[in-house]
Amino acid sequence: MSDTSGRTRRPRWLTVFGLVTLAVVGVGLYAALIVSPPDVNQGDLIRVMYAHVPVAWIGFAAVAASAFWGMLYLWRGRAPDDVRAQATAEAALLFSVLTVIGGMTYSKPTLNTYWTWDAKLTLTALMVALVVGYFIVRALIEDPQRRARVSAVIMLVVLVSLPFNYLAAEWFRTLHPAKSINLDGSGVTMAPVMVRVLLINVLGGAMVFFYFISERIRIGRLALADDKTFDSVRGVAREVVSVR
Amino acid sequence: MKKIVYALLGVAVLAVAGFLISKALQSSLVYFILPSEYARDTAAFEGKRVRLGGLVQAGSVRFDDAKLHLTFQITDHLKDYPVQYDGAPPDLFQENGGVVIEGRFHDGVFVGDNLLVKHSSDYHPPADGEPIDVDALKESLR
Repeated sequence: MSDTSGRTRRPRWLTVFGLVTLAVVGVGLYAALIVSPPDVNQGDLIRVMYAHVPVAWIGFAAVAASAFWGMLYLWRGRAPDDVRAQATAEAALLFSVLTVIGGMTYSKPTLNTYWTWDAKLTLTALMVALVVGYFIVRALIEDPQRRARVSAVIMLVVLVSLPFNYLAAEWFRTLHPAKSINLDGSGVTMAPVMVRVLLINVLGGAMVFFYFISERIRIGRLALADDKTFDSVRGVAREVVSVR
Repeated sequence: MKKIVYALLGVAVLAVAGFLISKALQSSLVYFILPSEYARDTAAFEGKRVRLGGLVQAGSVRFDDAKLHLTFQITDHLKDYPVQYDGAPPDLFQENGGVVIEGRFHDGVFVGDNLLVKHSSDYHPPADGEPIDVDALKESLR
């Protein structure tokens, strides 16, 4: 029996990182609730935006990360890449569901409805449905290699839908407001102080995401090592039986 | 048994995905029509359920809070139509603000039953006596 007790413990840097993450989330909360001025139209409701936008962005990033690890698995076929793809997909599910729930609570007092079938919301619902489908397919396939391959392809499909979702309010008429921070250089239609508060919360959200997936990947890899030990023990047992 | 349950779940998810895609293609690409678009083809929209998007014309809002009856002119600065709505105006409903309203045209009057707010993507603290940027709001409708 190899000694794995050292590896099963959470590494010290991750614990420290988790505590720093908590502090940054606290600062973000303070900035959103206290520092940010109320908006000219929305008043204090603008404070919901500081949660909704980071959660949505990190949901997108999680899908992109999962598709990246999935692609890497398809290319190299190494099991740890599938562990990483699954871990980030779990984060994608969490953050995209939170995007919808947060969006609905934000939407009712501002846009006067919880839900409407505009392009942005429909594509987000599709993203949630596909990521749920990703996990159903994973549960359905028992062969680990086939499971990793099929689920990687599903996440690539979700990835393809992301640009349409991100630019939906630019390309189509939607109820959902268009972007305020345009990466193509066409400007920022948000007061600088609000952009700063938003970015602190994006950082906090990104750190929560990184902490979650680091911990999930660590646990996933331990489970992978466990499976290998189990398989080799079973292999030895089979040989012993066949020799007799 | 477990496999059958998962297979059924998988089919259900695919069905939901297909439903969402068809929804997206049907109605989401043209989520609302503008007053000038209605004016161009009134016969096609007469009596049909549509979403009408535009700005609330300044000075046109009348709200009877005893009967909960709201009337205003909706405009895209090319064409405007009177709107009737039974209900209170939403919190972010304002003159020169964007709205999307679901309902039907009857003889040039839009009778709405679901009034939604389409606000601009401009966010900033209010300044004293600051005028509302109508051009930015117009741009938000496109």
